Amino acid sequence: MIISEQWLRDWVRVDLSAQEIADCLTNAGLEVDGVDRVAGAIDNLVIGRVLTVEKHPDADRLNCTKIDVGNEQLDIVCGATNVREGLLVAVALVGATLPNGLKIKQAKVRGVESNGMLCSASELGLEENSAGLIELDADAEIGQRVDEYLQLDDNLIDIDLTPNRGDCLSVQGIAREMKVLADGDYHPLDIEPIEPAIDDTVTIELEDPTHCPRYIGRVIKGISQDAVTPLWMQERLRRSGVRPISPVVDITNYVMLELGQPMHAFDLAKLEQKIIVRQSRAGEQIKLLDESETTLDGETLVIADANGPIAIAGVMGGARSAIGDETSDIVLEAAHFTRKSASGKARRYGLHTESSQRFERGVDPSLPPLAIERATELVLQVCGGEAGPLTEQKNDQGMLAKPAVEIRLERLISLLGMQLDESEVGDILNRIADSVSGADGVWSVTPPSYRFDIEREADLVEEVARVKGYDNIPTSMPRIVPRSVAASEVAINVRQVRQSFVARDYREAITYSFIDPNAAALFSKEAPVKLANPLADNMAVMRTSLIPGLIGALQFNANRQHDRVRFYEVGATYHRSGAGFREEQKIAGVIMGPPVKAQWDSGKAQNLDFYDIKADLEAVLALTGHQNPIIFNEFEHIALHPGQSASLNRNGLNGHNDFLGWAGRLHPSLEKHYGVRNVFAFELNLELALRAELPAFKSVSRFPSVKRDLSVVVDNALPVASLLNSLRDELGQVLNKVELFDVYRGTGVADDAKSVSLSLVFQHQDKTMTDEEAEGLMGAALSILESKWGAQLRS
Amino acid sequence: MTDSLDANLQNILEQAVAAIHASEKSAQLEDLRVNYLGKKGELTNQLKQIGALPHEERPKFGDKVNAVKQQVAQLLNNKKAELEAVALAAALAAEKIDITLPGRGIGSGGIHPVTRTMQRIEDIFVAMGFGVATGPEIEDDFHNFEALNIPPEHPARAMHDTFYVETEGQPDGSNLATEGSFLLRTHTSPVQARYMLNEKPPINIIAPGRVYRCDSDVTHTPMFHQVEGLMVDEGISFADLKGVLTHFLQQFFETELKIRLRPSYFPFTEPSAEVDISCVFCADEQGETKGCRICKHTGWIEVLGSGMVHPEVFKHVGIDSEKYTGFAFGLGVERLTMLRYGVTDLRLFFDNDLTFLEQFK
Repeated sequence: MIISEQWLRDWVRVDLSAQEIADCLTNAGLEVDGVDRVAGAIDNLVIGRVLTVEKHPDADRLNCTKIDVGNEQLDIVCGATNVREGLLVAVALVGATLPNGLKIKQAKVRGVESNGMLCSASELGLEENSAGLIELDADAEIGQRVDEYLQLDDNLIDIDLTPNRGDCLSVQGIAREMKVLADGDYHPLDIEPIEPAIDDTVTIELEDPTHCPRYIGRVIKGISQDAVTPLWMQERLRRSGVRPISPVVDITNYVMLELGQPMHAFDLAKLEQKIIVRQSRAGEQIKLLDESETTLDGETLVIADANGPIAIAGVMGGARSAIGDETSDIVLEAAHFTRKSASGKARRYGLHTESSQRFERGVDPSLPPLAIERATELVLQVCGGEAGPLTEQKNDQGMLAKPAVEIRLERLISLLGMQLDESEVGDILNRIADSVSGADGVWSVTPPSYRFDIEREADLVEEVARVKGYDNIPTSMPRIVPRSVAASEVAINVRQVRQSFVARDYREAITYSFIDPNAAALFSKEAPVKLANPLADNMAVMRTSLIPGLIGALQFNANRQHDRVRFYEVGATYHRSGAGFREEQKIAGVIMGPPVKAQWDSGKAQNLDFYDIKADLEAVLALTGHQNPIIFNEFEHIALHPGQSASLNRNGLNGHNDFLGWAGRLHPSLEKHYGVRNVFAFELNLELALRAELPAFKSVSRFPSVKRDLSVVVDNALPVASLLNSLRDELGQVLNKVELFDVYRGTGVADDAKSVSLSLVFQHQDKTMTDEEAEGLMGAALSILESKWGAQLRS
Repeated sequence: MTDSLDANLQNILEQAVAAIHASEKSAQLEDLRVNYLGKKGELTNQLKQIGALPHEERPKFGDKVNAVKQQVAQLLNNKKAELEAVALAAALAAEKIDITLPGRGIGSGGIHPVTRTMQRIEDIFVAMGFGVATGPEIEDDFHNFEALNIPPEHPARAMHDTFYVETEGQPDGSNLATEGSFLLRTHTSPVQARYMLNEKPPINIIAPGRVYRCDSDVTHTPMFHQVEGLMVDEGISFADLKGVLTHFLQQFFETELKIRLRPSYFPFTEPSAEVDISCVFCADEQGETKGCRICKHTGWIEVLGSGMVHPEVFKHVGIDSEKYTGFAFGLGVERLTMLRYGVTDLRLFFDNDLTFLEQFK
């Protein structure tokens, strides 16, 4: 909310500057976003009257005017179209400096002497753009300083209110707050009831007294169609960010800004018989003031007449009964709509108005009678007319006084951790509420009708702390019973995994949890969790895999001249699970470009292939210390190259075969779709991947081992793991180690075959391995491979 | 007789000195060693002539020959060392490389700045004795709102632009904000509620994670990260909240910055406080702030929200609010990351632009 400093000072006198007021409010929880100067004092700017207007001899669009500024008459050339005889205007005399920096000098305009300038509102710093001269009201005194007349020496204080403080959405509210906080001299308006001049009333039917416990209407007849909103009121509206429209509408807005009570005015002639406050009927239509058509649901409080809804209660009026240029008889409305009835309506209909904002946060139920008298007074003053008596329908049950709240000094001290004096607390409570009683450190406080936020002791604790100042609360360190525990050793820390990928030149990405449903479908057949109200179509479903997001990140960089991209991400995937949902933590990666950055003196950069990503995974997973190796099996996945992808399994401790995830090359059709080439990816279940085994000691043989190499030719399609597994299984413990060191295809080997070179290490635990024994074992090894896999010794 | 032998000995010495001096390779020195000191070497021969001398002169001559032998041996050794030193220097010079050429190998990547900050926040709180808790990101209305004292009609719901999730029987997203509906958590605070439902005080935990709001502009991304903190025990006070947060913020920024608490409003805490730190961008060595663009010339920067756990929240989770009190806080990880490293655009965090990420090792 934006509030004018000068307006505020009419209500409360404090010996503080605008900035000090702002600091005071901020420190009390009414955060001030900014303090903006309106214009400041301007010398040589006075009120003048236009005496004569004549066409400029050499310029069609200019006029030569004679202006009376009191002590003299000035010739001033003016280009504004609304200049006319008798108009009261703001005259910048020679020597004035306007807020936009313009210095007024004596000048010749197309040959005609001009001794000053007539100003528009924008030239005075009052609005962004103005169509013509600012037209001053008839009460303006010729020769008076304009800065005084228009209160230009003003500041706009922009306050960002929290939803609990709806009571501060008015000048009165902020003034009350300054009274509490700075012990200011508070001057509320003295509002007198208006004596009715006519007997006309409006019939009000309160069909829903629960949601509208109070409705007051008043007929005012015979208002002038020529009335204009006084400039001072227009200025206050403008400075509060409300656009002036027409006198009656401006007055209802003015009273709302002043007292905090949203009001409405209907054209009596357009009102069919009576006012009915009721719930809407589903499907009912209403055309609103902003000309939009809205279909109502069945649970919206409306103001209706015999023909249907004429306003959404507390949100916006309808077009059918709106005040227009021809209106002469009106009905003023001041009602109390409960927070519950107002809640969510603005959001449902997309109508966030000054009124809905206030009712949602709670408006003081005691305000309507005051507000309607105040508005009547202003209407009669500005527009003339004769007022009828008030018609009020109310439900006292719906506006019960707030129950008293108890606060204990002891609790206050222990909750704040601060010593407080009983008399000081009593004093603060008395500033907040009118009704405070108590003794021996326990008070009973009846909150004022506008404080919806004071319901229990904790609320009063905050009030005391706030008025006392949070800065004055000391700082202490509590005794902390440790809740942190050392991580279990049967799982490695995700930080180790992150760091290992970093050490292998991967960069961490963080991608959105919601993705494009089309992208999701490319990577998984699983039906994803959908958002009911996505921000955009391409953020409409929750990811079931981290890969689509990562590919997006990879593509983003590939399109920006990065030819080598290596990303990993740690995060959840989201799945339907029965009637509910399930989340799985994953770690995934995508890589593209040479396995090692192009380097000097090391030949041609190698192409990335499956074995690069496999090496990364083997190295990282080795951190878990598992005795059983990761088993790579051939794997089918819609997003992966069918010949270059693998599942990763590991035999867990309890005999479970854990499916950790998969790795492989992106399917060529997807590579084409994303415009990238040779991309490899992996995705692992984080929990399973992190599972670790404690190291288990095996005795170290003191006897020498014998190492022998063996090269065999086998069928090209035979997985090498089959050879290694057979040797391990058949030769048993004596085979200390078997490793592959070369695979060869080409000259000397048949087209459909490959040569595989293995290195075998034999060792006994209890005796020396002899050469003869080793020879025998090599023979056995060869015959195992021959008989099981048709291998032939390579000559 | 002695004189001529002496003269001869002197002669040999002079020749040897000249030859050693002229040598350029260690092989030459080896030859000279053999020629002079070997079994058939010239000095050895000199010793053999000792028989021709009278008895009384023999020891003296022997001593002379041995002295010369030692002198020659010494000269040979010195020269050898000298030649080796020269050879080594030459070899070293020949092996000189350009050590400014880049190293070969795979290089190293980096973790995301948001993760970096999360880890740092965790480390500070874990060192204080806080545990780390987690909760689901697809939450139900109860834990995200109701249990935190945000009933359906509460205006605070408007501040949480909530993403709702489609469930069976409610496919069109109508009437979203109802009991039993599922949503993407709008804050990490539901972890508070979940933890307190399962654990008894004393409680001191943090809960880091992703959160979501249906909002996207220069200063909002629809997904971001928070760390929730919760401490509940007998006698926990607002002063303790101040103490713990001061400790955390001073550790995090590694400076004795000042903190300021301002009253604010969160439905699940009362009293509530917004926490500001003295601006880390314009503070001088004494910690005095001059005001700058980042702190909007106020000298203060808002960093987190906090407060004393609301009695209504304790009621929802079955903790006796007369016996126990507690505080909670929630901090924005992106915001702290921006302040710590001077990042000026929030949206960079989720673009995953390598040019940005490579700045964080």
